[in-house]
Amino acid sequence: MTVNAPSPGPVAVDPITVEVLGSAFASIAEEMGEALVRASHSTNIKERRDCSTALFDTRGNTLCQAEHIPMHLGSFIGIIPHILKRHPVAQMRPGDMFIGNDAYEGGGTHLPDIVIAEPIFFDGAIIAWAVNTAHHADFADRGHAHIYQEGLRIPPIRLYAAGELQKDVQELILLNCQVPRERLSDLRAQIAANRLGVQRMQALCAKYGASVVLAAGEALQDYAERKMRAGIAAIRDGIYRFTDRFDNPELDDDLTLSVEIEVRGDEMRLAFDGPPQVRAGVNMVYTALLSTVYYAVKSIVDPSILPNAGLARPLTVTAREGSVLNCVHPAAVNGRIATCQRVVDLIDGALAQAVPDQVTAAANGACASATFVGVHPADGRAWVYLETIGGGSGARAGKDGLDGVHVHMTNTSNLPAEALELEYPLTLLRYELIDDSGGGGAFCGGMGLRRVYRAEADCLVRVDGSRLHSSPWGLLGGKPGGRGAFRFGAGVAPFVQGKGQLRSGEIIEIMTPGAGGYGPPGDRDPGQVARDVAEQRISRDTARSVYGIDI
Amino acid sequence: MAWRVGVDSGGTFTDICLFDDSSGQVDVWKVSSTPDDPSRGITQGVEEGLAQVAAKAGAVGYFGHGTTVGTNALIQHRGVKTGLIATDGFRDLLEIGRQKRPDLYDIQADKPETLVTRDMRIGVPERVRHDGAIELPLDEDAAREAVRKLRAAGVKAVAVAFLYSFVRTEHEKAVLRILAEEFPEAFVCASHEVAPEFREYERLSTVVVNAYLGPVMEGYIKRLAGRLADLGITAAPHLTQSNGGVISFEAAARLPVRTILSGPSTGVVAAQAIGRVAGLPNLITFDMGGTSTDVALLADGQCRLAGEATIHGYPIKAPMLDIHTVGAGGGSIAYVDNGGLLKVGPRSAGADPGPVAYGRGNAEPTVTDANVVLQTLNPTHLLGGRLPIRQDLAKTAIAGLAEKLGLDLMATAQGILSVVTANMAKAIRVISVQRGHDPRDYTLIAFGGAGPLHAVRLARELEMRQILVPRNPGILCAMGLLLTDLRADFATTKLLTLDADAAAPMVAAFRELEDRASQWFGAEDVAADARKIVRTVDMRYAGQNYEIAVPIASGPIAAATLKALADDFTAAHQRLYGFAAEGETVQLVTFRLEAAGLVAKASFAPRPHAGPDASAAVVGRREVWMPEAKGWVMCKIYDRTKLDAGNCIAGPAIVEQMDATTVVPPGWSARVEPYLNLILEAA
Repeated sequence: MTVNAPSPGPVAVDPITVEVLGSAFASIAEEMGEALVRASHSTNIKERRDCSTALFDTRGNTLCQAEHIPMHLGSFIGIIPHILKRHPVAQMRPGDMFIGNDAYEGGGTHLPDIVIAEPIFFDGAIIAWAVNTAHHADFADRGHAHIYQEGLRIPPIRLYAAGELQKDVQELILLNCQVPRERLSDLRAQIAANRLGVQRMQALCAKYGASVVLAAGEALQDYAERKMRAGIAAIRDGIYRFTDRFDNPELDDDLTLSVEIEVRGDEMRLAFDGPPQVRAGVNMVYTALLSTVYYAVKSIVDPSILPNAGLARPLTVTAREGSVLNCVHPAAVNGRIATCQRVVDLIDGALAQAVPDQVTAAANGACASATFVGVHPADGRAWVYLETIGGGSGARAGKDGLDGVHVHMTNTSNLPAEALELEYPLTLLRYELIDDSGGGGAFCGGMGLRRVYRAEADCLVRVDGSRLHSSPWGLLGGKPGGRGAFRFGAGVAPFVQGKGQLRSGEIIEIMTPGAGGYGPPGDRDPGQVARDVAEQRISRDTARSVYGIDI
Repeated sequence: MAWRVGVDSGGTFTDICLFDDSSGQVDVWKVSSTPDDPSRGITQGVEEGLAQVAAKAGAVGYFGHGTTVGTNALIQHRGVKTGLIATDGFRDLLEIGRQKRPDLYDIQADKPETLVTRDMRIGVPERVRHDGAIELPLDEDAAREAVRKLRAAGVKAVAVAFLYSFVRTEHEKAVLRILAEEFPEAFVCASHEVAPEFREYERLSTVVVNAYLGPVMEGYIKRLAGRLADLGITAAPHLTQSNGGVISFEAAARLPVRTILSGPSTGVVAAQAIGRVAGLPNLITFDMGGTSTDVALLADGQCRLAGEATIHGYPIKAPMLDIHTVGAGGGSIAYVDNGGLLKVGPRSAGADPGPVAYGRGNAEPTVTDANVVLQTLNPTHLLGGRLPIRQDLAKTAIAGLAEKLGLDLMATAQGILSVVTANMAKAIRVISVQRGHDPRDYTLIAFGGAGPLHAVRLARELEMRQILVPRNPGILCAMGLLLTDLRADFATTKLLTLDADAAAPMVAAFRELEDRASQWFGAEDVAADARKIVRTVDMRYAGQNYEIAVPIASGPIAAATLKALADDFTAAHQRLYGFAAEGETVQLVTFRLEAAGLVAKASFAPRPHAGPDASAAVVGRREVWMPEAKGWVMCKIYDRTKLDAGNCIAGPAIVEQMDATTVVPPGWSARVEPYLNLILEAA
């Protein structure tokens, strides 16, 4: 029989041991992440690194996360409690490996993020969990009226029992995937990553003693909590509100989203409001809202806070159940990242009133993406290719925003044209910054990106994005950044709700939004404005109309 | 009589190592560096060094040099104004990179400065397909106009980078031709010459860095070659590259991007040579200096060659020894953060004002101060008496931390070492466990000013049981220059499936590389019997995008070669990732050829065994605070220069020499091997 290890209790560890073990946890999570990326097969993981790895304690608190993508913090948060709800600890064995993806029952936030979790046994008891998630670019060309349309829902179930692969489970999952070969290889990489995590944690316990390791895990969470409290305490007490509009190709009408943040002492309460959940993939489950808040507050308050569960303790997060920002079954959630990005903008907008030097103007506010689905002309195999495209990041106090980067909740790499064209019947015609897309100001918002593709074989295409109807706002007198747009070449039939088709030789152009500027344009150094014109970042017209400078 | 001269020029000191081929005599000379023009300090040092051993410049038969000129110009953005000619629609790729932001959470973080401003990046119409077909021929008029525009704008260097230039080189070559006609005075380079491999951003970044540094390096090399010639040195000077091999000055001036890690790579080469002589081919190098520490792993005497690394924020595709750097060294500052934990680095007190104990005005405690308080470092003076030490100031500084932590003074000082050791251990895990190597199977070779001081603590953290401290840990890099072969690496990307049909294109790929290698051998004047070639193939499962380098046995490529490749790849994948995908298609991606021109190297003579008694080297005693005893332990102090082959020392003990201190804690012993290296072992 198996038991969870007793809680650390009275074992005291000094601050130096805590720091030393913190380094060791970080090493383990990073090593898991490297193994996952390098052994994986699908471009989304191997090139774009759309995956994350972590260690959890027995109660499901994050001990340490390898820093790949903030959004994934949410894909993790719920997994251990969901496993424990279904599977008695007493029946767990070394070598058990749980798989899950469901947003309501599986600890995920959308179905493509498949989570694999393995209990770490030491001296016959579970002392922690090795967990990782990877975005499987599959379940494509689906509907998003409710979650049943979005892919196979997997509650946390055993993929391995005591080291033995459960072939039935694996076959069921693979039969529901469009590109099963990639899925299998990626799952193997995920499993290999967890195995490493388990071995390394066991070695750590053998060296320091399990009770010391567990106590250090607790102490690191206390430490993150102290840092978070210290950061919040430095913000002036008060109530700060912000409202923004959210658009998406799947939605007929824009949504109004708002937040009220109350800072009191060393605690922060964030109350969100939004319309009832919609029949589209933009709804967020509560864990997705939590991870978004954790990211945003950490980035504003103190980016050096360790990404573990302790940072959440001083925060209270609420949103009406059944609303877009806290949806319930059976709302569709596939495209929740776009909504999450807007929630970060809300928090920045609200806290700008208290700590304007620690926030940015609105970033591109989107996670523009394109999914291509087709059949290889050569061998008839199905192919699915997903990519997300960065944009401008918001201008800051004293600095321009960054051009053409992923912001906030996402941080995936692009795929080189030379790798893309080798693997898929697509040609990249242009990939460049968009002139005049950064919002003007004393400090300019970052520029958006243009990516132009030509299909070399017929394929279905789905595009996603936001800030097509509204502009990323500027701060303290800064001007708004450029909007996003999708443009189609000659002959392409109009897309409906972001979905359509390209025939061989047809072209689609994706333009992502820029970002808002910071401070009045009149405060920008005229020499810098001249430089912006010389570099074609802004036109002469903009120099005249926004900055009042003739070049 | 011929002298071999090695010069390692760093930020603070220029180290000169002189070796007399006929007598085996080794001499060392150290002068202050002259950062505004390092060639001055070098020539002065070489002149003084030669005078020291009463040798004439004409007697120098070999001159090897490691430099940080390229890497410093990159860090400080002191390269030249550079232009870029790229495929139309892709000129911004240099700035976009992989579209990732520099830090996940820190919204104030900035990307490294783009080395070519947007107005100096010009797209010209042309397009090659992935299969080599030309979809759009180069618009030569547009290219000519671009060149004229860059010339008029006053750029000093031009990089040319087109998509798929690794498949077809014509378009880039055509632009090089136009550059030669229109802009002959510019430093020019094209991506197919510098890094003919796939993934356009990394190739682009590499060729741009090369152009940006080209004129700087060219100028430096010219000045240095001139000064050396004025001195009367007639031997052709050589420069170390990041791959650990040397190359002629002329070749280095054309490809400065290959010498970015010139400095640290010589340390690895020296470690390799010392390990070979000492019979310890499996080594982890630990080169700890004042502000940073470099670590590398040598398996069976070989350091893994990385094809790509990010240096100071810029991705560079060039053969580089797999060296991992951490921003922590003896000068790193310790502090308690706002969450109450003890942190060390990456901020450093540098050489000036330096640690608190130097008494030059710094009040923030460093790693060195912790050692002074613990008395692992001499509490009254260092550098053979030339540097007085103020232990009282170090104690006051660390007491401040102790109060914040609620610990006593000695536990805090020891804690600083534990934290810095944990950082180092993390770096070593990256190059060992993350690459499938168990550090317990390796010997730690400790050098740099602070390496021998921290070696045992680090070895313990990683459960390593053996440490080698070389005879001159402080000048090991300069010595490495006397032990280095000529080396060039050639590569070509050609995607093949591993099956019977692969043999013919593989033979063709290697024939092309061998042709390029023989040209190089000719240019470097390498005799036929000194030429050595090693071939490897980067392999992966179809669908993966990270490759594993698999060596190929020498001899003709036949069915058995393919079989061996398949087996070796499977084994490597199993070792690295814990599984092998049976039945999956295996691909051959990049073919590599390493060409080495073997040079006669400095060879050191073994000393006869002088017996285990080391008492003649004891120069004193002092109390040292040891965590094993949780208190003060009386230690004998040994003078390294008085130790002879065969001498044995039981811990606890301290071994001092001019530029390094070795700690032998209780439970460890040290012995001197015939080449006067110190071997430390756990009991």
